[in-house]
Amino acid sequence: MKPRTAIGRTVVLSLQLLLSTWYVLPMIPLVLWAMARTWPAPLMLPSQWGPAGIAEALHDDATSAFAASVLLATLTAILATPAGAMAAFALTFGPLRGHRALSALLLAPAFVPPFVIVMGINVTLLRLRIPSMVGIALALMVTAIPYTTFVMRSALAGYDMRIEDEARTLGASPGALVARIRIPLLAPAIATSAFLAFLVGWSDYIVTLLIGGGQIVSIQIRIAAAASGTGNEAVVAALSIAAAAPPLLLLLALSRFSRTPKRRESPASQMAQEARRTATGALT
Amino acid sequence: MRRAALLILPAAIPTVLVLSTAVTMGTVQSLGLWPVAGTADASLAAYRAVADSGELWSAVAISIVIAVAATALAVIVGFTTALAVMATGRRARVLKGLAISTIPVPHVIGAAAIGLLLTDSGWLARLFGSTSDTWPQFVGGPWWAAVILEYAWKESAFIALVVMATLARDAAELSETAAVLGAGAVARVRHISAPLATPALIIAGTLSLIYALGSFEVPWLLGRAYPEPLPVLAYRLFTSTDLEVRPQALAVSMVTVAIALTFGMAALALLRRRTVAA
Repeated sequence: MKPRTAIGRTVVLSLQLLLSTWYVLPMIPLVLWAMARTWPAPLMLPSQWGPAGIAEALHDDATSAFAASVLLATLTAILATPAGAMAAFALTFGPLRGHRALSALLLAPAFVPPFVIVMGINVTLLRLRIPSMVGIALALMVTAIPYTTFVMRSALAGYDMRIEDEARTLGASPGALVARIRIPLLAPAIATSAFLAFLVGWSDYIVTLLIGGGQIVSIQIRIAAAASGTGNEAVVAALSIAAAAPPLLLLLALSRFSRTPKRRESPASQMAQEARRTATGALT
Repeated sequence: MRRAALLILPAAIPTVLVLSTAVTMGTVQSLGLWPVAGTADASLAAYRAVADSGELWSAVAISIVIAVAATALAVIVGFTTALAVMATGRRARVLKGLAISTIPVPHVIGAAAIGLLLTDSGWLARLFGSTSDTWPQFVGGPWWAAVILEYAWKESAFIALVVMATLARDAAELSETAAVLGAGAVARVRHISAPLATPALIIAGTLSLIYALGSFEVPWLLGRAYPEPLPVLAYRLFTSTDLEVRPQALAVSMVTVAIALTFGMAALALLRRRTVAA
């Protein structure tokens, strides 16, 4: 709603400007450094512009770190999204014994710091000779499950099971029910859930570092290694922007995607209503 | 019944396996019962060693102070953002877009960005024309300011998003009605938005508190070398070439999870009391 008084408008306006600055400020030096060829202190802007950081990052084989991150994040999403969706179904539509305990169990990893999980399971992973990639994927999957389960539970709370009942009455097979009704209707929630799981894998640092033991270098490990040294500002900035882009683009795609079904749905539902009206008319 | 039980297994089995292994093996190793070096001998020696050196207590204090300060700041900024976004218009949409696009930025990148902004040769120091003598030591300084600000920056966006979702659903219409009935802005925030947002603030605040308590990369990149917060101390002991100190790493790790769970329980109790009262 709009503020009603002149003072209210001024307060809201200054808050909006102040808060926008708060969110955008840390990104400014990152962007400037990524475009700087030379930028000695105390200059406020680079003295020479150019993609020096990007060139150096490519030279340092940032692409393989990028590929490792894509793999880990995709694995996390592939594992945690269906697991969370199925668990949410069981918890929402049950009946399930130990409902409260199971619900708490699936939220528990959000309350346990990842380094605690990794330091605890490390010896077991080594003893069982589990490949580090599998160990990392397993730990990341468990870290992502609270989020995928939560998103799907919120979506299912508003899911009308009568649509499925109706389809079943009309002769839809269980497979068709899932493929043609359940998944399309829940697609925006599934996409959000997969995005969050991808983000857990993409953002991870400590799990890959400790289980991978330096053998698996993700993009976050590359950035942290460069950022912990001195004189690497341009590379750090180039790598950071490259590594921030995939989740940001996915978020953008997600907001587009979540909006489309409504637009597509209306003609379809109009047609369905039309068909139903015709059918009812024919029957009576 | 059987179908629901089967459906929950793909999530429940990995979670049970990983969490129970992590907690039991962590405890067992911290008690010296599964040594990487030397002989097995059940004792509290590892806990005593980190406690006696004073490292554990300073780590507990630093970690809690950082987490509480960052979360308090994030709750204030996040809640204010959600309120400022409720006002309609282009600037509200821009603010909302900026806050939301902060959420998927990984903490390593956030730390790198805050570093480039706040070091003594960083962008802000250059804007203000400060030199390393006059610029406050945000990065690596005694107040952990850069670490606290990085968490506050990232978590304020997360908290804003959660509160926005709650307020968009429940508060918008009530606020309109209250305004028509003559309630001022302050009254509307105090009696409508704030109470409606409180459960979401408690949940999101607790998640960010526990995150800040147990995250390694931000204090490692932006903090000082000594004294260390809990995850940095645990990491140093865990990766030490002296394998004798491995149980101490697990001891620090178990203390961390105990603190995290205490915060989690406290938040749950707070939420339950609120729902009972309401």
